[in-house]
Amino acid sequence: MSRHAPGPSKLFAVLLFALTCAVVLGLPGARSVSAQQAKSSDAAYEAQRLAADPDAPGPVQPIPFSHALHAGKYQIDCLYCHSGTDRSRMAGVPPVETCMGCHAQFGSDLEGVQKLQEYWKNQQTIDWVRIHRVPDYVKFRHNRHVAAGVACQTCHGPVQDLHKLYLVPDTKWVNGMPADKLKMGWCLSCHWQNKASVDCLTCHY
Amino acid sequence: MPELDRRDFLKLVGAGAGAAAAAGCSERVTKLIPYVIQPETITPGIPVYYASTCRECPAACGVHVKTREGRPIKLEGNPAHPVNKGALCARGQASIGRTYHPDRFAGPLQRGSDGKLSPIAWDQALDVLAGKLRESAAQTWLLGADRGPTGNEVLARFVSAVGLGGRIVYEPFAPESLRAATAAVFGIDTEPLFDLSKADLVISFGGDVLETGSSPTEHARQLAEARDVATKERGGARFVYVGPRLSMTAGNADEWVVAKPGTEGILALALAKAAIAAGAGAEGGHGALASLAGGLDPATAAARTGVDAKTIERLGAALAKAKAPLALPPSTGLTSARGVATAGAVLVLNQVLGAVGNTVQIPAGSGTKTTSYKDLLALVDAMKSGKVSVLLVHDADPLYSMPASSGFAEALAKVPFVVSFASSIDETTNAAHLVLPDSTPLESWGDASPRPGVRSLLQPTLAGLFDVRSIFDVLLDAGRKLGAEVAAKLPSGDFRSILEAAWSDTAWRDALARGGVFAETAPTGAPGLAAGVAKLEVAEPRLDGDGPFTLLAHPSPMLSDGRGANLPWLQELPDPVAKITWQSWAELGQEAADKLGLVTGDVVVVETPTGRAELPAWVRGGLRDDVVAIATGQGHGVGRYASRENDGQPGEVRGVNVLSLLPTLTDEAGGRAWLCTKAKVTPAGRKERIAFSQASDNKRQRELGETVSLAALLGEGGHGEAAEGEGVGEGSAGEHEFIVPYNAVDDAAATALHRWGMSIDLDRCTGCSACVAACYVENNVPVVGEEQVIRGRLQAWLRIERYVTEGELDYRGGRPARSSHESLGNVDVRYSPMLCQQCGSAPCEPVCPVIATYHNPEGLNGMVYNRCIGTRYCANNCPYKVRRFNWYDYNLKNFPEPLPLMLNPDVTVRGQGVMEKCTFCVQRIELARQKAKNERRAIADGEVTTACAQACPTQAIHFGNLKDAASVVAKKSADAKRGYHALQELNTRPAITYLAKVTRGSVEG
Amino acid sequence: MTPPPPAVSVADMIRPVPTPPDSQANQDILAVMGRPTLPYWLLLGFLVAFVHAAGAVWVYQVYEGLGIAGYSHPIFWGVYIVTFVFWVGIAHAGTLISAILYLFRSKWRNAINRSAEAMTVFAVLTAAQFLGIHVGRIWKSYFILPYPNQRGLWVNFKSPLVWDTFAITTYATISIVFFYVGLLPDLAIARDRSTGWRKLLYTALALGWHGTGRQWKAWNRSVLHLSGLATPLVLSVHSVVSWDFAMSIVPGWHATIFAPYFVAGAIFSGFAMVLTVMIPVRRIFGLEAYITNYHFENMARFILLTSLIVGYSYSIEYFIAWYSGVEPEQTSFWYRAFGPYWISTWIMIICNAVVPQVFWFPKARTHIPTIFVVSTLVNVGMWFERYVIIISGLSREYDPAVWGLYTPHAAELTILAGSFCFFAMFFVAFIKIFPVIAIAEVKELVIHERAHGQGGAH
Repeated sequence: MSRHAPGPSKLFAVLLFALTCAVVLGLPGARSVSAQQAKSSDAAYEAQRLAADPDAPGPVQPIPFSHALHAGKYQIDCLYCHSGTDRSRMAGVPPVETCMGCHAQFGSDLEGVQKLQEYWKNQQTIDWVRIHRVPDYVKFRHNRHVAAGVACQTCHGPVQDLHKLYLVPDTKWVNGMPADKLKMGWCLSCHWQNKASVDCLTCHY
Repeated sequence: MPELDRRDFLKLVGAGAGAAAAAGCSERVTKLIPYVIQPETITPGIPVYYASTCRECPAACGVHVKTREGRPIKLEGNPAHPVNKGALCARGQASIGRTYHPDRFAGPLQRGSDGKLSPIAWDQALDVLAGKLRESAAQTWLLGADRGPTGNEVLARFVSAVGLGGRIVYEPFAPESLRAATAAVFGIDTEPLFDLSKADLVISFGGDVLETGSSPTEHARQLAEARDVATKERGGARFVYVGPRLSMTAGNADEWVVAKPGTEGILALALAKAAIAAGAGAEGGHGALASLAGGLDPATAAARTGVDAKTIERLGAALAKAKAPLALPPSTGLTSARGVATAGAVLVLNQVLGAVGNTVQIPAGSGTKTTSYKDLLALVDAMKSGKVSVLLVHDADPLYSMPASSGFAEALAKVPFVVSFASSIDETTNAAHLVLPDSTPLESWGDASPRPGVRSLLQPTLAGLFDVRSIFDVLLDAGRKLGAEVAAKLPSGDFRSILEAAWSDTAWRDALARGGVFAETAPTGAPGLAAGVAKLEVAEPRLDGDGPFTLLAHPSPMLSDGRGANLPWLQELPDPVAKITWQSWAELGQEAADKLGLVTGDVVVVETPTGRAELPAWVRGGLRDDVVAIATGQGHGVGRYASRENDGQPGEVRGVNVLSLLPTLTDEAGGRAWLCTKAKVTPAGRKERIAFSQASDNKRQRELGETVSLAALLGEGGHGEAAEGEGVGEGSAGEHEFIVPYNAVDDAAATALHRWGMSIDLDRCTGCSACVAACYVENNVPVVGEEQVIRGRLQAWLRIERYVTEGELDYRGGRPARSSHESLGNVDVRYSPMLCQQCGSAPCEPVCPVIATYHNPEGLNGMVYNRCIGTRYCANNCPYKVRRFNWYDYNLKNFPEPLPLMLNPDVTVRGQGVMEKCTFCVQRIELARQKAKNERRAIADGEVTTACAQACPTQAIHFGNLKDAASVVAKKSADAKRGYHALQELNTRPAITYLAKVTRGSVEG
Repeated sequence: MTPPPPAVSVADMIRPVPTPPDSQANQDILAVMGRPTLPYWLLLGFLVAFVHAAGAVWVYQVYEGLGIAGYSHPIFWGVYIVTFVFWVGIAHAGTLISAILYLFRSKWRNAINRSAEAMTVFAVLTAAQFLGIHVGRIWKSYFILPYPNQRGLWVNFKSPLVWDTFAITTYATISIVFFYVGLLPDLAIARDRSTGWRKLLYTALALGWHGTGRQWKAWNRSVLHLSGLATPLVLSVHSVVSWDFAMSIVPGWHATIFAPYFVAGAIFSGFAMVLTVMIPVRRIFGLEAYITNYHFENMARFILLTSLIVGYSYSIEYFIAWYSGVEPEQTSFWYRAFGPYWISTWIMIICNAVVPQVFWFPKARTHIPTIFVVSTLVNVGMWFERYVIIISGLSREYDPAVWGLYTPHAAELTILAGSFCFFAMFFVAFIKIFPVIAIAEVKELVIHERAHGQGGAH
């Protein structure tokens, strides 16, 4: 478990806070129209709670960010935050700035967003715990895969449904051997299928 | 980000970790840390290039700084820059290491009462400096190199505003004698420009223009243009070299005239006379010549120079006959107490030959105007007599680069307060009281003007790595602290704004994008001789001391005046001629050595009136027997790589500083003289292992560095290696009835769009090793250090083999102590770059048990590091021996922080126990492929090139797609007369075609 | 392959041997397995200790990198491969003596086959280790095995190193089985005469052997078949090892003669090792009655024969080098004889081709000290043979710019010494745990001699 994991008491507090907010917000007409005072939806609180859930699979992130909420509910395009993924070998991890693009306005009542604003105030970087990783001698190229029309989900799992992100297991069979996700055989099976290059130098140099 | 280490830095860019881990044992980067604010120019994974200028030497080549995630990872030549036109020499390539050097100062330091340098804050440091200036401005001197027009201007303004004692612009190799000579001969105080590309006969009087001249990259390119066999008639220009030593430049000549050192001027005049006798045109010089070369008929000249009269007459005639002759003056090593006269004589020869205004330009005011050496010596005297209380030193290491006999050390000790602006430790800084680290060229703003019409810009490409400041801003701030009236006299704003203001006459943003403003001026006319000519006293120079040997202190092509000594790549790059790394050596002529009973590796004692040094001897045929030659640059006591610190002996001096042997002599005009002493050489009675990178220069007539005679090339029969009509391959290495002719294209899959191939033109290769340095930086090739080189574990993927003559099947000396096949006057030197040949039927492939090396559909000989288990059979079976093995975890051992920051994230860093080798920069191919694939097309010719080909000043290397018949490489490879393949008879079907060096024979009268 | 055996001895073979409960042979031979003396313990202790020391050096090498060894750029193989080939060679005598001589009905083999087989097993184990010690990344060396994997990768069946892996593993398996099967009857004898833990051990290992006719019949047949199986291996294994070199293009390696040349060399060194080991053993444990000079003389004859083959190969190598007219080849061989490695070369020639010629004289063949000295020298010579082939070959290849030299470093020499200790350790332990001489077969021999009233020589 990552050192960012909050203690149980803290979590309990979060939970309580979330619940009370949910109740309060439940009351009809309690919402104000002003963006500044806008109270976030129950869904947002729920999403945050689930994203912070230490018992859910996957590492606890410094900020309980829910992909299900952003990519799923709000239908924000992956490339909106992960810009550059279609141009670069590497996937763009959104800088704090990008998050603040929206969250300067919205969600200030959410604890996660408050954390975010804290980071922004101190101009501090967010140490996300890395989940999808191939060894350094594998030269994976996001842009080529995006260009080839491979859906992000193919490798990253159904992120739009995940509140808390984790390496969604997936196993393909190669020569009667199981190839787990992000293992070489797993990549190859897809490359074979789509007649993509299986030359060693394509990924290893 | 205060003191940020490599891992943190990589965290900032998440996947940038590519370079951080080694194949196999991959250390994980478990954090993914995005920017807080991502600069819009930066997309992680996509390189951004910035145009800037190289400041390693005054030539001021334009560079493109390749940055990834905001950190420079490689320097490449700027194709738009008129000086280097896209090429970049070894020193330029290696200079990127300065920015990530483990020795760099993290911030300002002050020497405490305990005598140690300890960190202080900038404000504090500035106060200290300001205080000193306030106390004794008039007794404060500024000593350092030229910093470009704007920089010099700011420094001048500072000097005048604060009322400093003065500024000394110090450049150890400054061509002062030439400048003075030009002033004397033409009445213009300037640095002549030599255009070799226009010449059809070049004669260099000890001018090593290809390695250590005023602009090596440019001159190498020009010479190659002038001698291009494809476009020029009958092999193009001829090149004659005059000098005592077979230098790299000499090795590229058609004829080597072994004159006594110091007599170049006499020879020049004799040749001028002979040329006139043979009917040389231009009237200009005749009058002057009469007075100068009165008695210099061939016979007398022969007696004085050691060149026989016939040669003098022949060369004179040749010069007279030549349409566009060009004579080059001596470079640093041969600048004597008669330096001005010698250079003057050469200029007069040019005048006589009508070269001035044609191949020689005398522009009004060019080059770096340095203060005269004698002013510096005056300052030294002032220091000795305690008249200097503060010395500000920048961009120079005088404590190292001044001759010990000048007493600079004592003088410096007498200066109460020494301030150094060096960014990392050097001898002078080691004695400084206050260190205000300047930003490196990659971190600074600035400009340079190597010659009229060429204005080149420097721009910072990274920041925040260390807490350093530009010297200009530091001085300006300190100046402003001295009160309003001083501040008023200083330019306002920071240096960047001052620079922009200075460039206000140009389109600033365009200039930044292009790297400067390049408006080549029209050729100046021939100014005609000035009265000063008559005053030249051309004669043998004064040499101190006695002894059978003349000491030739020639500049090191890699380490230069010592500034390169702390860059590991330059230490490990073999000297182009001696092929020695990391060490100092004394070159001795074969006969002289035999007389002394010395062989290569014996330690000798070299004694001059002013010093004594012990160093191993390299015995060679290519040196006059009355000369002992020692390269500059070694002999540092500080610096991780410059000294022996990295070998675990901190404070131990590495090699010998030849300057400790030189008396302090000046030429007629007070310029610095280098050729100024005799020396005694005696055996020390012990041996030392020399870190040779090459075992032997005897190629045993094998198909390695081939030549073809011009006659054979022109199909005139002749006695060349290649008989009429047939290629070198068949012609040179005996019967080859068992050679199977092949087409490299067949070694790629029929469906593949490319078959990558390369052509290497040995007639253009000068041996300068720029390609080797480029390969090191591009491919994260580790530097292994002296001890490992001695054990034969150099990791270079690309090496330049230096063979002399066809070699012989001798079995002398069981041990391959590098036998020299050189001989006086013989210029048959073959420089042959050797790298993975990407064989079509590679011996390494079938023997690998795990298919870690294999043939890829595009004909590349792939090497999969993470599959390799290290049986090393492939390396045994490689006849070219281009595979390197990681005996240790070199990359972890030999890249101390923060050097790993310059690793190329697109190339896997090899771990312990795996084989590695060249794969034609496959990472570049893959990058180009992405673009091409998205556009559903093949990669166009010239769209991708290897680091070596890109760096080559003479474009000797071409890389491309052999399947594309229109590609340059395909055309070059098709050369039936010069093309051959290394060790052809092994039928390995290499993808590299070598074009044999053309032997043009000595010059006909 | 096998000539029709003389009917008489077949009859001998399948006749169940009536063994008296405590025949002389049993006592003498089992006496060897008696309570170990102090010197024995000291020797064993030293061997174990040294093996551990060498092991530590190896661990350090894995940690630091092969750089601690003497490798240099052109010379990528060194003492480790030399020693590997050496031990594989040693491993040949066992199978040859047990299998081929068995098929040829050379009864005299019975006295020495047990120890020879044991040596085979131990030598193969020793040799196999060097493959691991040699590679750069031992932790990835399993890549060399053709196992189905999710990477969809396969080994390179073109590579001699893969053949090598197969050859060695096969040979190890067969020789262990052969050794064990041959041991069965004696294990039973040992079982019947021992107590305590030994009893348990032998009971387990003897697989319920009671020496019934059926068992003897089955046993004889299996030995016969195993011999048939092992015989081609004797030839194949070292041929394959030789191809590690012959398949390359390195001057001095790339020669068609290598397979026979290496096999002969292997048998040569194997026999030498048997002698070097058995002479002291026989002396110490007083087995003169069973291992007679007659046996030694036969082996001396073998050594003489193989020495001639080896010597012939040396000369042919040089002849071909000259005859081929290939300059790199000629240069390589010139340097081999007169270059930096001339000492190794001449040690090799003198020890392997010259010294054994003394065996032309019956006196020398029967004079034990002479035999011992010669066999030891042959072992030295054979190690240097591999050293010369590998090192001098690599030091002078096609590109003179990268010619180089190699000198073994402390690490390599320690591990080399360690390998001898490793081998000796097993053998010394073996002496005390298993009968050094095949009791049953020796008895068979005795009976056979009774039947014919003459020496076992045919």
